[in-house]
Amino acid sequence: MEKVCVLGAGSTKYGKLEDSITDITLQASVDAIESAGIESKDIKAGYISNVFGVADKQVHLGPVVMSNLGISDRPSLSIESACGSGSVSFREAYANVAAGFYDVALVAGVEKVTHTGTEWTTTYFSYCSDFFYEGQSGVSFPGLFASMARAYMNEFKATEEDFAQVAVKNHDNGLLNPKAHLRKKITVDDVMSSAVVASPLKLYDCCPFSDGASSVILCNEKFAKDHGANYIEVMGSGRGGSSAALQGREHLTTIPSTKIAAEAAFKMAGITPKDIDFAEVHDCFTIAEIVDIEDLGFFEKGKGVEAVREGQTKLNGQISINSSGGLKSKGHPIGATGVGQIVEVFDQLTGKAGERTVKNAKIGLTQNFGATGASCAVHIFQSV
Amino acid sequence: MTEKKNFIEHAKDGKILSHKCINCGYLSLATVYFCKKCGKRGFDDFVLDGQGKVGTYTIMTVPPTGFEKYTPYAWVIINLDNSDLRISGFLPNIQKSGDLPIGAAVKVVGFDDRGIVLKKL
Repeated sequence: MEKVCVLGAGSTKYGKLEDSITDITLQASVDAIESAGIESKDIKAGYISNVFGVADKQVHLGPVVMSNLGISDRPSLSIESACGSGSVSFREAYANVAAGFYDVALVAGVEKVTHTGTEWTTTYFSYCSDFFYEGQSGVSFPGLFASMARAYMNEFKATEEDFAQVAVKNHDNGLLNPKAHLRKKITVDDVMSSAVVASPLKLYDCCPFSDGASSVILCNEKFAKDHGANYIEVMGSGRGGSSAALQGREHLTTIPSTKIAAEAAFKMAGITPKDIDFAEVHDCFTIAEIVDIEDLGFFEKGKGVEAVREGQTKLNGQISINSSGGLKSKGHPIGATGVGQIVEVFDQLTGKAGERTVKNAKIGLTQNFGATGASCAVHIFQSV
Repeated sequence: MTEKKNFIEHAKDGKILSHKCINCGYLSLATVYFCKKCGKRGFDDFVLDGQGKVGTYTIMTVPPTGFEKYTPYAWVIINLDNSDLRISGFLPNIQKSGDLPIGAAVKVVGFDDRGIVLKKL
């Protein structure tokens, strides 16, 4: 297998965007190409992730993106894996570059849904669940994670105020990220007094619906060395699955696909969770971040909540979690999120993270899942 | 009849249709085609009383389309009695968390356009 590198990265601002789904994908991709110091004709294949292209009247995005980059003759793959689409897209590009099929590949993720309104998004997003058992019986994604939150509170004596701490921390980080959707300092009281969406989760426990696009350029090591730009190496890549419906899981306070993906990625990288300096994890809801940092092995099961309470996951704490602001504050354009996490790792490891820089960071991890973690991908990167 | 249709017919009668693996005895919901434990295909029908205890739940206040008229309502995962299986569903007329403590007895009472419908006992 070829060693695979990330040579460039670009992102639009996340939030409510005016431009079309195609235009924002192109903006992020052009930024990634320029950041890599290459030309579009260097790209041999494209991997484009998106979930609800129907909302902005464009599906089969791959060829549309490639055509507008002036490389219409190159193959592309349009990928949907719910909120985990971006990391799956990255994984497919990684596998193909590692296998030697292509020396350079483009990964782009995008979502454009805010113009549809909360009812449309709540309803359509529920189609990402195991609909027969979940969406059909009136549960939304906030409701599914609320069910996990209640199970966690019951098993580990965590409180709603504990969950609120995750939101407060991620908003603090997002304030330092010019591209974040919700750049606003909040307090535990703000979270506790926000409207209940699905008890015990309140509005400020939930990430926003966002528009946005993120892109990265992958290449083999020889190409990276020849091009001289700052690049980072992929150390490990893992994917995993879980029962699509929560009812099919042995434990309701863990996400099996995260554990499976993490184990594979750590094994490939030849390191352990203790070696990770910072991580971008899938905090679609505050409870999710607590479950994630336990499933990834950073903290024991049931101890993640204590780590949050003690501030261990703050920027430049024991392990910086979601320096970008995470899904909670940076925003969650679902098809782009997994790619956006890798953009953050690239920026951190190439000295472009500005005020939110994780000090002396050498190794970063990304974890991005689809639905309630029915699918998950974990990637580990190191600076060169 | 597909297994899913058969499952729905049983749920309408308040029962949960499960499958017992002929090879290893592992119990799955009837909508699964291969045994999760041993990988074999070949099951005996095993009908469970759709009764159990609340494992976890949420009370929905921002509903998806079609559920506005029921709001607030609960969505519940129950641990079925006499098995390791769980089932989730819609439970109307729940206003606050005190109405539905974890461990409370609940049963399946039907299946309609709200999926599996539950009732607190």
